[in-house]
Amino acid sequence: MMPPYLQHLITGFIVLNVVIGLVTYVTLLERKFAARLQSRIGPYYVGRPHGWLQPIADALKLMMKEDIVPAAADRWVYNLAPIAFLVPCVLIFATLPFAPGLGVADLNIGVLFFLAVSSLEIVGLFMGGWGSNNKYALLSAMRAVNQIISYDLPFVFAALVPVVLAGSLQMSAIVEFQQGLFGWNVFSVLGLLAFVAFLIATLAAENRVPFDILEAESELVAGFRVEYSGMKFALIQLGEYAHMIGTSFLGALLFLGGWLGPGPAWLGPLWFLLKAMLVFLVVTWVRWSFVRIRVDQILAISWKLLLPATLLLLMATALVVAIQGPRAG
Amino acid sequence: MRADPSFWAETGQLVRAVGRALGVTFRNFVRRPVTVQYPTVKRVYPDRFRGILALAYDTDTGEEACIGCRLCEFICPPQVIKVEMLKAEKRNFAKTFTLELYSCEFCELCVQVCPTDAIIMLKTFDLATADRRALLLDKDRLHALGLEHEPSWATGNRLRDMQAPPKPAKVEARAEAKSGGKAEAKEPTE
Repeated sequence: MMPPYLQHLITGFIVLNVVIGLVTYVTLLERKFAARLQSRIGPYYVGRPHGWLQPIADALKLMMKEDIVPAAADRWVYNLAPIAFLVPCVLIFATLPFAPGLGVADLNIGVLFFLAVSSLEIVGLFMGGWGSNNKYALLSAMRAVNQIISYDLPFVFAALVPVVLAGSLQMSAIVEFQQGLFGWNVFSVLGLLAFVAFLIATLAAENRVPFDILEAESELVAGFRVEYSGMKFALIQLGEYAHMIGTSFLGALLFLGGWLGPGPAWLGPLWFLLKAMLVFLVVTWVRWSFVRIRVDQILAISWKLLLPATLLLLMATALVVAIQGPRAG
Repeated sequence: MRADPSFWAETGQLVRAVGRALGVTFRNFVRRPVTVQYPTVKRVYPDRFRGILALAYDTDTGEEACIGCRLCEFICPPQVIKVEMLKAEKRNFAKTFTLELYSCEFCELCVQVCPTDAIIMLKTFDLATADRRALLLDKDRLHALGLEHEPSWATGNRLRDMQAPPKPAKVEARAEAKSGGKAEAKEPTE
């Protein structure tokens, strides 16, 4: 038998590579989906039909690009920022179980770990904006901090509703709790409301339209990563998509029953993937349907609407669970 | 925050707006893409398409149709056409004919004035090139282009026929009765 550390190393390596491959191809999925939402075809010629080699081509292109460091940049911070940004974004996959017993570590505080680590990305983001020594990058980083801190609270409160319902912070326990016909959290009233709040907070946490003031193309060019090029840009992009996919997986796990679904047990990871992609596509759908909103509107939605609503929801859930027991919903 | 009596009405409006926005994009999603994959698929161009210019051959004799009259050179607004005439026994030819396509504004005036239907427009807009000099067209290149692509409907004589004032039958009959010239017969119509 292998020593445990070696075993963890191997599973970690596999999960990391699967995640990176998945993230690469999710960009293609998003581009095709966005194209269809606009009555276009999307990537087509690289890897006919339908551009299935496009992500590889993109990756190769980014690897061959010149790596530029601005002369006035804070080199140390500037070079470290992509890694500081990528690590938390990939680390969130550590606690995600893809099927019973299939995952790196099914911590008994999995949800807490996920929420804590996923909000760490802001450090790398601000390092990038600060280290670039660029007005736009700094402005964008400050907006990002502003926005992510505002939306972390509703995000956490919405994610806590299933936790309260299941009575556990362990991800596999939350999935086990949702077993049975219409047992998923999204089918109960409280769960549905929490899911909607979760989706809105997800949009903001991932800096997607309509909450994308930090990379508002018309004013800030590309936001905090405006000075990055080549592989560093690729790392930031990878981190952003990994964060997005990780959050989609979390949403599928908390509200859509994770790997539960008809069919034999080995179909579980596929169901999970399908549900996560569904969440991702809904988020993308919203992204391509709305326009950007102002800074004050973003903050107003968070502090005046979403935060009290999710707080109330959490209290209501706690009350219901306390009175009727966990199965009430 | 002041208690707004229309809070729920406003919220309902907002939700409906969100639904409508999502609905628009979803309708696009289930619809077929409108993209035309250009180099492989070409949509049907209209008959009066104004594309790249070319020189045509006379359909009856097979000779070059251009007689070097320089009318196109005189009318060209951006002055991209240069013609030299070659005097011959039966008819004249163009000795040189250069067209700077990179400055052409595709106004079709040269086609309209051409007395022999020599200069025509083609149903193609494919003039992308890596070298600007490739768009400086000489006589041979213009003739070759004319054979390469489908010509547009418009030629000088067709356009003039189309734009000629209509001749009412009555006036013509009266003019014939008087056995007057054509110029007189046209006057009452103007």
